[in-house]
Amino acid sequence: MTVLELAGVEKHFGGLPAVNGVSLTVDEGEILALVGPNGAGKSTLLKAISGLQPATRGSAKFFGEELVGMKAHVVRQLGISMVLQTPRVFESMTVRENVIVGATFGVTGDRPSAAQAFARAEDALGFVGLAGYADAEVDSLNLHQQRFLELARSLAGQPKLLLLDEVMAGLNDTELQASIDIVRTARDELGVTVIWVEHVMKAVMSLAERVVVLNFGQILADGSPADVMAHPEVVTAYLGTEMKT
Amino acid sequence: MTASTASAKEGAPNTAARGSATAFRDFAPIAVVAVLLALVPLNFHDSRSMMTVIIAGMLFLSYTIAFNVIFGSTGQLFLCTGALAGIGGFGSVILSDRVGIPMTLSIVLAGAVAAVFGGLLSWIAVSRSLDTIFTGIVTLAFSLSFQNFVLGRRDLTGGENGLRVEAGKDGLLDTQVKPYYVFLALAVAYLILFRLLQRSHIGWAFRALRDDEVAAELSGVDVTRYRVYAGIIGSAMLGVAGAIFAHHRGFIGTSTYSFGSVDVRVLVMLAFGGIGTLIGPVLGAAVFTILDEILVSYAQLREVLYGVVTVGLFLGFRQGVIPALSSLWDRVVSSGGRGRKST
Amino acid sequence: MTAVVLDGIVLGLQFAILGAGLTLVYGLGGVVNLAHGQMAVFSAIVIARLIDHGVSTFLAVMIGIAAVGVLGLLIDLSLMKPVYRQKGESRVLLGLLLMLGVGFIIDGVLEWKYPIEALTIRISGDPIPILGVNMRRGSLIASGIIVVVGASLVLFFRFTTFGRATRSVIQDERGARLCGVNPATVRTVIFGLSGVLAGVVAVTRAMSTPVVSTAGVDLTIFALIVAVVGGLGSVSGSFFAGILLGIVNTFSAFYIGTYITTIVLLLAAALTIVLRPSGLLGEKP
Repeated sequence: MTVLELAGVEKHFGGLPAVNGVSLTVDEGEILALVGPNGAGKSTLLKAISGLQPATRGSAKFFGEELVGMKAHVVRQLGISMVLQTPRVFESMTVRENVIVGATFGVTGDRPSAAQAFARAEDALGFVGLAGYADAEVDSLNLHQQRFLELARSLAGQPKLLLLDEVMAGLNDTELQASIDIVRTARDELGVTVIWVEHVMKAVMSLAERVVVLNFGQILADGSPADVMAHPEVVTAYLGTEMKT
Repeated sequence: MTASTASAKEGAPNTAARGSATAFRDFAPIAVVAVLLALVPLNFHDSRSMMTVIIAGMLFLSYTIAFNVIFGSTGQLFLCTGALAGIGGFGSVILSDRVGIPMTLSIVLAGAVAAVFGGLLSWIAVSRSLDTIFTGIVTLAFSLSFQNFVLGRRDLTGGENGLRVEAGKDGLLDTQVKPYYVFLALAVAYLILFRLLQRSHIGWAFRALRDDEVAAELSGVDVTRYRVYAGIIGSAMLGVAGAIFAHHRGFIGTSTYSFGSVDVRVLVMLAFGGIGTLIGPVLGAAVFTILDEILVSYAQLREVLYGVVTVGLFLGFRQGVIPALSSLWDRVVSSGGRGRKST
Repeated sequence: MTAVVLDGIVLGLQFAILGAGLTLVYGLGGVVNLAHGQMAVFSAIVIARLIDHGVSTFLAVMIGIAAVGVLGLLIDLSLMKPVYRQKGESRVLLGLLLMLGVGFIIDGVLEWKYPIEALTIRISGDPIPILGVNMRRGSLIASGIIVVVGASLVLFFRFTTFGRATRSVIQDERGARLCGVNPATVRTVIFGLSGVLAGVVAVTRAMSTPVVSTAGVDLTIFALIVAVVGGLGSVSGSFFAGILLGIVNTFSAFYIGTYITTIVLLLAAALTIVLRPSGLLGEKP
């Protein structure tokens, strides 16, 4: 079943197109990696879908419902949750309280009762492995843990589509593997579809089932990781320089 | 709006396991404050001037709690506290004395009118995504326009001569000791409302959007809606308090609700006590009411003093007394512990 | 009709210089000086006291303007230090609240010590006809002074090194630092300059109406309205908005009534913020 259908999505900043006519169909349960050089428009595309930076033109349909023009909180309540590259957490709250906000407001349909929200927050924290930090203040978490906290805040609302923006940048090998496992488990156990912007090629190759390459705001290649990596244009445009690292 | 009463029953989401314990902890301070303030008239009931002073103190406590809902909870710098209270005051007097509506109803209606204005201001500020400073200037412009309106429409407001209030005479609001308890009840009701808001989902939304607007939106919080809620609720509280005061005082004029005599004091009281805290307004109102009384014979010095206090306060003591005390308390009780921030 | 326009321009020039002083300080350090009008009144009262003590008007004016300039410098060097350490919203809020407090202090002291003092500078001589309208000499001289001050400001920002440095700080504080401009020094000097402009307001205003010791709050409000309509941070915007609002003011006062006039001006400011937050001359958001 089609979860997301983008048709000719454009996002301009002061006349300059950052995303320049992207059309893409994402099926339920896919883990899709969005790669490309810096400034290719990957993050901008995610932000356009989530309503943070509304698209200038085009259409984005989520289970047939048009997203363009919706505010970010409405998109979230429809079941699309985004995790930002730089975590934005609620500083005055504990870890659990952060997740409770997501469980209370970021849900489709009726707001859950306090007890329900509490229970869902506990589950989400357990899922990302932060159960032991539930009562800690957020500023006691490191960057990596704060990203997991954001992920828990997302999952607590039981989303159908997760948008992850470079959440694996700067992690060490153990943390990277943990992140990969969590994302895969989220898909396997919770049935979440994942679109995920990534620079870390190791993660892309091990987690993604489909890779879409963006360059200058347009789709350059789309296919399985192996196919895409072999694509000659991709190699020249982007990977030729970065493969070695 | 209707959800606020419904979700008050749910309590804060994390009270699932320890509901009654937190309910006690959350409301006990209000009970203590109510009892302490109820004893105040025992000392002063035979002094008319002192009763006037402490009634004004209670009124300002109500104003400050209302302003705390708007500014403290959602960060909207409303520099029109006085104007909104004045809409309540003049509105209610005009409705009761001119139109002939019963006083209780006119107070409610005037509160509703203030709520409409406040909600509108809030909606403009949020939908145009004005920052603190621009929200401040727009509301200040509103405040001064109201002031000029009161001066200009002498047919309605009496202009600089003021307005004599008929409704409320020969009632509960007429003498000195009884009205004190009316204002005390109002202030306590406002404190309870503030706490109920904090414990409801609205309170969670307030905290989230005050911490980080983008993160709140991403978590599904309708930032616009909750900001406007705060504007509406706080403005209704201001309007009702201003209206009751008008009927008690029996006379209202241009200075009753002016920026200089209301907003400035409310801002200083809240900043002194602690922005966003439950008990901060109580402390701020108490301290400045006492200061006013001490300085009563140096009326001119009062403005200087307010200036010095404002400067000193924001220079050295930005967070306010209650947060300072509570973080001190936290450090003493649980050395580096896990205490939830709740003041 | 012509008379109303001319009166409007005369008043507008006063508005302009009032707004310019406020807008400069905001543009540089993000401080909304809610004591700007009070600073003008401070200078007026200093001048009035000096004249009372037999000092010549010219010398008194010079001392009074210098005094308020120094006051600006001192405020920047003392109270504003912690403000500049803050960033973004909290800097703006702290600056605004501190200057609100300073405004109370100046206002309170003036009303306490000199409740009935006022500055009036009498310019003798017959009215001068302009476009068939007899204009008072005082108004014309005041306007002349403001035009000269305004032109010097423009030249200063265009052609002197310090002026260009100021503009670079307004555009980008960090960039200016990289180019070897010290934003702190620029801010201090500009706060002093803003004080001097407040002094000019007091003097020019006193040539047509008495500046009383309680006028501070009103002057601050007018300064705020003009600065907002012109776009906070833009001196040329302030001049444009000042003259425009001056004409609006006299027209509205002449044809509608005075209490509506203030409301019209306030609405102008509010609408500018809501519709074009960067001011009339600023770029669209």
